[in-house]
Amino acid sequence: MSHQFLLALLCEEIPANALPGARRQLEQGFAKGLEEAGFAGCTVRAFSTVRRLVVHVTGLAAGQPDRIEEVTGPPARAAFTPDGSPTAVALGFARGQGVSVDQLRVVKGSRGDVVAVTRRVKGRTAPEILAEVTTEVVGSLHFPKTMRWGAGEHTFVRPLHNIVAVFGAETMDEVVPLDLFGLGSRGSTAGHRVVAPGRIEMRGITGFEDYAARLEAAGVVVDPDARRAKMLARAEMLAAEVGCTVRPDPVLLDELVELVEHPGLVRGKFSSRFLELPEEVLVTTLRHHQKSLVLEKNGRVAGYFLAVADRPDDPEGHIARGYSWVAGARLADAAFFYAQDQRDSLESRVPALAGVMFHRTSGSYLDKTNKVRQLAVELARQAQLEISLEHLERAAWLAKADLVTAMVGEFAELQGVMGGIYALGDNEPEEVWMAVADQYRPAGLEGPIPRTLTGAMLGVADRLDTLAALLASEKPSGSKDPFALRRAALAVVKICAEFPLPLDVLDACHRAVVGRPGGDEAELQAFLQDRVRHYLTNVVGVRADVADAVLTAHWGVIAADVARARALETVRRDEVFGSLAIVFKRVRNILTKGTHGVLDERVLAVPAERELLAAVAAAEIRVAESLDEDDHEAALHALAPLATPLDRFFTEVMVLCDDSILKDARLALLARIERLFLRLADVSRLATEAR
Amino acid sequence: MDLQDLILSLSRFWSEYGCVIQQPCDLEIGAGTMHPETFLRVLGPEPYNVAFVQPSRRPADARFGENPFRLGKHLQMQVILKPSPHEVQELYLKSLTALGIEPSFHDVRFEEDNWESPTLGAWGVGWQVLLDGMEITQFTYFQQAGGLDLQPIAAELTYGLERIAMFLQRKDSIYDLTWGGGIAYGKVRHQDEVELSRFAFHVADVEMLRRHFEDWERESVRCLEQEEPLVVPGLEAALKMSHLFNLMDARGAVAVTERVALIGRVRKLAVRCAKAFVAQRERLGFPLLARRGGEA
Repeated sequence: MSHQFLLALLCEEIPANALPGARRQLEQGFAKGLEEAGFAGCTVRAFSTVRRLVVHVTGLAAGQPDRIEEVTGPPARAAFTPDGSPTAVALGFARGQGVSVDQLRVVKGSRGDVVAVTRRVKGRTAPEILAEVTTEVVGSLHFPKTMRWGAGEHTFVRPLHNIVAVFGAETMDEVVPLDLFGLGSRGSTAGHRVVAPGRIEMRGITGFEDYAARLEAAGVVVDPDARRAKMLARAEMLAAEVGCTVRPDPVLLDELVELVEHPGLVRGKFSSRFLELPEEVLVTTLRHHQKSLVLEKNGRVAGYFLAVADRPDDPEGHIARGYSWVAGARLADAAFFYAQDQRDSLESRVPALAGVMFHRTSGSYLDKTNKVRQLAVELARQAQLEISLEHLERAAWLAKADLVTAMVGEFAELQGVMGGIYALGDNEPEEVWMAVADQYRPAGLEGPIPRTLTGAMLGVADRLDTLAALLASEKPSGSKDPFALRRAALAVVKICAEFPLPLDVLDACHRAVVGRPGGDEAELQAFLQDRVRHYLTNVVGVRADVADAVLTAHWGVIAADVARARALETVRRDEVFGSLAIVFKRVRNILTKGTHGVLDERVLAVPAERELLAAVAAAEIRVAESLDEDDHEAALHALAPLATPLDRFFTEVMVLCDDSILKDARLALLARIERLFLRLADVSRLATEAR
Repeated sequence: MDLQDLILSLSRFWSEYGCVIQQPCDLEIGAGTMHPETFLRVLGPEPYNVAFVQPSRRPADARFGENPFRLGKHLQMQVILKPSPHEVQELYLKSLTALGIEPSFHDVRFEEDNWESPTLGAWGVGWQVLLDGMEITQFTYFQQAGGLDLQPIAAELTYGLERIAMFLQRKDSIYDLTWGGGIAYGKVRHQDEVELSRFAFHVADVEMLRRHFEDWERESVRCLEQEEPLVVPGLEAALKMSHLFNLMDARGAVAVTERVALIGRVRKLAVRCAKAFVAQRERLGFPLLARRGGEA
């Protein structure tokens, strides 16, 4: 009969960011531990609230199956006389194992024949195993931050207050005895701290649904998915009551779900005078500082918000009033900063950047401003961008000035956005204020890129400058990347690829590094190349060997690199590319072995050589034509006719022959082929299936 | 509830629980955590429960009495429970009831908020307590102080008194709060907020501050290098340095580049004081441990 197990830990409030990982680890840990203990085919599900970690296992056997075990003893020589009768040694071993001497057998041991006995070993019960697995899995849970409490003897995410551990078939009535952090397991727990703090008995509990129902009656919804659905439904209802809709915010909702035991929400409101604040300021205040969902009417922020409450109701209206009061205070603060900031122009703040350190190795933000301004203009000239260099320069000059405004001092996440708003207020041209506003876009792989070419150029120049300045001292390692340099490099890649910017990144790296003490151009290029590879495999979705083949050929104009990778990803499925990969590998190998001069076609007289020569010449023309039309797939396809002649060439011609003139000519022919391939991709890097 | 009723109620509550009701540290300090009754008492094995009000000075937060929510000197009610009792959260909620805040009518949530003081070489793990969305208390399980791992662990409850009073009185400005005796907070404190702001931002003599920072650093070292180290005077000298630093900072006289170094100099002394304190208590035989035995 199938058995089940329920574990529920009641803790003090667990940080929201620790919970999804804990659920994942619990599911994996229990599944692995039980399987290793011989319980195959269990289903493990983990749930949580801000105060609970819950695991439910179904499909358990009552215990491990009995197993047959062979116990080996003394050498056969010592146990039996040559005529086969048992000695005192055999008798002693049999007695020790609790069997009669005729049950002994002789088996081969590593050092010759030994006496052995086969015994049936009783399997251990499921509760015994469950107690062990629980101790092991819970004890090795990894959290972002752990703590000690009380006597300071134990370490966990937060102090533990109750353990339910029950086991059974149809009902889980057997308490599994176990001990965690000095606390013993039991068959009851407590409900919601305020709504129903009394004891909840687990006796007669039939499964997770029953458990969830008993807890819900005590104000606790243990399944995060259920909390999310309820919260969303309540949000929509509270919005509809005032004729609004909820601005979708799945990221915030995910966090709110982890903050409570009960998925409660209240509707707060704020004075309509704050609706005159820039929408970004309103939303940031409500969202980041109050963790509130924003309500909107006709696409515009309305004077209401929804805030989380860990209870189903607001019996005296205190909660909504409290939140509204706090929101009003925060918005008043923001309005005060906004008014104060507008007294001075953005430009007048630039000199104050001299007092804000960018990095201990690289001076102030004013220094950075000057460097970025110069770099942006140089890069725009180099790439022959059709933008006003004057506007670009202006945007770069104003870009960091909002760091010394009161608003950004208080709401750091509004950097850039406020700069854009204040620049607009100062009547800066659209190209300028939009570039300032968009300079931090994209925030990650997902976010939008700058809207204008000026903004894109500024964003790239700013990040290249940051990378050139910090890579030497703050190079990311493993999960450590305190200055988010990987994200900065990825943003460069994303902007160049998606805007797209006709910028040669290798040259740009050189310009960003030049004249900077300790700057390392090659390191910066390698760091960026790594992000291009990441972008190709994770965003464009090409296979790792395709990215490799494209990037080792050449790279730099990222939009073009992406186009080549896309094309290769499509054509590589063509069987001929398998052959091309193999034969091109031979080309590259052989070229490492000899030098080659100018190709003297007259020397090449063998039919296989003439054929290859003709094929190369034809392919060169077709590749060039296709590339002129930006058709990378056609260009790659133009290489295909080389597969057969190359194969024949290698079969019939001895490249590294004794005649040095002939050798040079053959190597030169292969070098010409290599050059042609590498305009597109180093297809020798493609993974080939064994044929 | 008047501000002073709030203080009296909390003091009464924690007194009844068995805390020593201490008086504020009589120096300019930035938080109750710096009070020797916290910073030193959380060190070592001896149990200790204490509560006190601490006027907390943060010169850079001063706003010339113009900002309704910010003060250069605000009031904290600090409670230290060492070791942290198993039911410390329930205890805290009961203390709210003593203020007339009945949790069953409100939303009280504990949201992760960890605390760190680079100046004291101290950090802890805990929450900010949100009452109907308003942060009213910082709740911390101290893990380390003066660079030393702590055992047992103390719980620190820091009530923001003006915040709670604003919430209870539903006032939109600190200065409109009623302090007690029919007098408003503004009448009691506004003028000194204005003056403290002017002093902190415009008047304080930077050269003098810098000189005294160095003086008190030497004095702290001298205290700690006595044959029998003078722990509390050594710590008090370091606390003076901390406040001098805060004033220099408000005056804009701390270059970004020297900031970390200056904080590091205070921390170095705090760490030495912590070690000296534990050694001193050990020499004394950890007298407060004995109370747990026959004497108590």
